[in-house]
Amino acid sequence: MSTLDNIEGIIEAVLFASGDPVPLDKLSEIIGHDRKTTRGLLTGLIQKYEHSPRGIMLRELDGSYQLCTKPEMDEFIARLGTIRKKQGLSPAAYETLSIIAYNQPATKAYIEQIRGVSSDGVISTLMERNLIREAGRDDAPGKPKLYETTEEFLRVFGFSSLRDLPVLEMNEVKEVMENIPLD
Amino acid sequence: MKSALTEACTIRLQNFEGPFDLLFFLIEKNQIDIYDIPILEITEQYLDYLSAMQEMDLEIASEFLVMAATLLHIKSRMLLPSKEVAPDEEEDPREALILKLVEYKKYKEFSSVLKDREQKWERVHYKLPEVLPVLPCEDELEVSPIILHQCMRDLLQRYKQKMNDVSKKMQRILNHEKVSLKAKIHELLGFLTKGVKVCFSKLFKRRSRLEVATGFLAALEIAKIGRATLEQPTDFGEIYIIPKTKDEVALAEEEGELF
Repeated sequence: MSTLDNIEGIIEAVLFASGDPVPLDKLSEIIGHDRKTTRGLLTGLIQKYEHSPRGIMLRELDGSYQLCTKPEMDEFIARLGTIRKKQGLSPAAYETLSIIAYNQPATKAYIEQIRGVSSDGVISTLMERNLIREAGRDDAPGKPKLYETTEEFLRVFGFSSLRDLPVLEMNEVKEVMENIPLD
Repeated sequence: MKSALTEACTIRLQNFEGPFDLLFFLIEKNQIDIYDIPILEITEQYLDYLSAMQEMDLEIASEFLVMAATLLHIKSRMLLPSKEVAPDEEEDPREALILKLVEYKKYKEFSSVLKDREQKWERVHYKLPEVLPVLPCEDELEVSPIILHQCMRDLLQRYKQKMNDVSKKMQRILNHEKVSLKAKIHELLGFLTKGVKVCFSKLFKRRSRLEVATGFLAALEIAKIGRATLEQPTDFGEIYIIPKTKDEVALAEEEGELF
């Protein structure tokens, strides 16, 4: 049994030992509290880590939780001499990723329509980097493949879930679109 | 406004992702309101840019040309007075283009947000999972020793039978059959030197499937190089390989040289 006193310690220990993100359900099972209470505890813990001068923080990742180091500790960790930076993405890749993130699942045709250029190469790069994945096929002529973002996408760009994506001011565009008679 | 041509030569020639990217660059450079694009100037600059790219021997993707055509089309529509429609009801020919540009702009802006976030979050490090000697928990079973004993005997018996079974099967190891197309072609050519028509099925009677298949490929190959003709009078019927005479072969070779 766990009391509220040591519960944060339990979560901390479990997350440390796991290394991988641990789903909310699993955590609530371990500490013996319902999902809502557990989520509250975790949110509190995220705050605590953030405001304490420790090198570790807690992050949510698509309904799971994971411990990681704080970004500002990077320069010190780098002194261990073990960090290799990944090669950055091309502007085209960021563009394509933005379109998929806000319109998933999206077809290649849709992406190309917005970008105005062919996007085969970019899509395969993003697939290789595991930032997007195939998400079935659209029920349209030719059954085109659909693409969506992955958990890796959330991790790399520091989103806790897709709901965490900032709201793009697309409404004005939609309104204008609706007012135009189709020809 | 300076001509885009001179500008293109002075500034580092940017690599544009596509026509929207270039248009966008021009709009930002001239500090134009995206909702009120001076189409004449923009078209001019856009075309200047394309010719600058051409002069520098850069390949211009077809998408850029499509956009140039679209711009010119809009320009011409704006120049021509439209009939019968009252000026205030008239639809702005730029509308579709503007909508696309606005949409593109949102994603382009979000691209830089993504880039910034990536830079922050790549400085975060994770730990590999601990290798824990944990066994999956199982419910305890209550079984009498007699049943357990019986089970073990059954199991040993079955194991013994199975082993015997397999060892019988494992008397010899089959060699991987090696049939090369080259060897088959030579074999067939050997038959053909006799100058008589050969039945494919008779040639490959009692041969393995792999040999028949390779033989068939060899026959096709021989027909291709013009050493024989293939005939099959009926569907799924017998295939005859008819060798060509020496004169015919020489002729075929001459023709072959032409290709």
